[in-house]
Amino acid sequence: MPSYSPYDWNESIQQRNEYIEDRLKDGSPVVAMTYDGGLLLLSARQTQRKVYEIYDKLMFSAIGNQSDVEQIRVAAIDVAHAEGFQRSPDDVSVQRLVSFRLSPAIKKIYSDPFAQPVVLKGIFAEMGKTPDRDRLMLLSYDGEFSTAPDHAVVAGTAYAEDRMREHLKSETESGTPTLAAGLRAALYAWGVGMKHLESEDRADADYSTDGEGPKDVSAFIKEHLGKGWIVEAGVLERDTTRESRFRLLSDSELLETTGQYTQG
Amino acid sequence: MLRFDTPGAGGFADLFTEKPINYDRLPMPTPIPNVPGTRVVDTHGTTVIAVKYKDGLINVADRRATAGYTVMYDQAEKVLALDDYTLISISGSFAKSVEVVRYLRHAFKYFERSQLQPMSQDGKLMELQRVIANNVPAALQGIGAFIPVLSTFDRDTNQGRIYFYDVLGGQFETAEYGAAGSGSAPIKGAFEYILKTKGPFREMDRDTALRETLTLLDIAADLDTATGGSAKFLPAAKYITADGIRDFSEAEIKAALGR
Repeated sequence: MPSYSPYDWNESIQQRNEYIEDRLKDGSPVVAMTYDGGLLLLSARQTQRKVYEIYDKLMFSAIGNQSDVEQIRVAAIDVAHAEGFQRSPDDVSVQRLVSFRLSPAIKKIYSDPFAQPVVLKGIFAEMGKTPDRDRLMLLSYDGEFSTAPDHAVVAGTAYAEDRMREHLKSETESGTPTLAAGLRAALYAWGVGMKHLESEDRADADYSTDGEGPKDVSAFIKEHLGKGWIVEAGVLERDTTRESRFRLLSDSELLETTGQYTQG
Repeated sequence: MLRFDTPGAGGFADLFTEKPINYDRLPMPTPIPNVPGTRVVDTHGTTVIAVKYKDGLINVADRRATAGYTVMYDQAEKVLALDDYTLISISGSFAKSVEVVRYLRHAFKYFERSQLQPMSQDGKLMELQRVIANNVPAALQGIGAFIPVLSTFDRDTNQGRIYFYDVLGGQFETAEYGAAGSGSAPIKGAFEYILKTKGPFREMDRDTALRETLTLLDIAADLDTATGGSAKFLPAAKYITADGIRDFSEAEIKAALGR
């Protein structure tokens, strides 16, 4: 039997990362943020749905291999419902779900050189009883997770994520936005991230902020929506009389946001 | 629990049957020791009423829960939402009903969230029938029997539907009204009297229908010892329309009671 040295381990981890990062690169970025009435998750897609409800106050979106996204989504739903039924919906928390259940399982698969890695970078958004208890958690293909305040993004490259965060930060500086303002900022941030990803193939594109002007990004978003890309946004509403706090926004609700790109 | 190998089929109960240790958390047959001389120990909810009205459905219930001749609780909530358009009004064993409602809420939501489509109306009704049927062994031993009335607003046809059940899980759809619990038998004739003299409930406006149902509940409280009146605590009253489920306000209930 051939021996497996630390060098091999290093090599295999590196190849694994390259393989995964390469496959994540084309994913359509996702933006999560708080708004004055709850939490918002937004992305744009071609065919497959991207924003999902996990539990009463928990939603999820991700980039990655669709079947991997599905598996994590269903696993999260299973864990949340079993816990919510056996104890109480109040005991279902994103912190417990991600750090104790999902992350170890993903880490185990990632560390097994003979297993197919989970190709995924996801965002979980949990609405707390009060806005200061909202929590956004990012979960990555190697099991790494982190918590973000106010807003969070996932995109195919770290640089695209940086640029998106930068933009969202400037948009949310003046306070918690309304839903309309949040949607507008989130879609614009999506445009910033997606534009970077698409220009990454250019040799001179790395770490440049070229083409980030409002006109360029707007034209870019307009072009994509014109090609049939669909903006998908889900919200968790803090004050609602409905049984489900989660809902996907309808086309007419999104029109105010998408209209400036599709009309005229 | 983390099923990275097999895709789920949307069955909430499967989450537990894979781990037998948790199986007793489901509202499934509960083995009860057949001890001679045991007396009824479970708490019962009593009268619940569902009627159709012009724009949807109304559910009302008294607030009393009894155990034998004892009033256990006079603020019981017996009209519960299963989803945004479905109310279940429970009578019979209170503990079992509440557990069943918890189960159904999770089962419906689990299906919708995992399968990315809502469970069909028929699927939901079947789930409820199965839970009642699974409870038969316990019910036959004289403990844990419960009988619900289910009201749901069908958004496809834009109309309300009411179903009532027998203890074996037999399901019956009704055109006008449904009622269950110990107080429902004495007022059966009164429903028919209203239909014959005042016309169908489904043509009444909201206030009229509420007034009629609360009057019926009041009669039930007069004729049945286990049904609570409205003097101490107001009855529970909710309605469903195309916009979802709403509570009647305290003022509306008081007005309907003529106070």
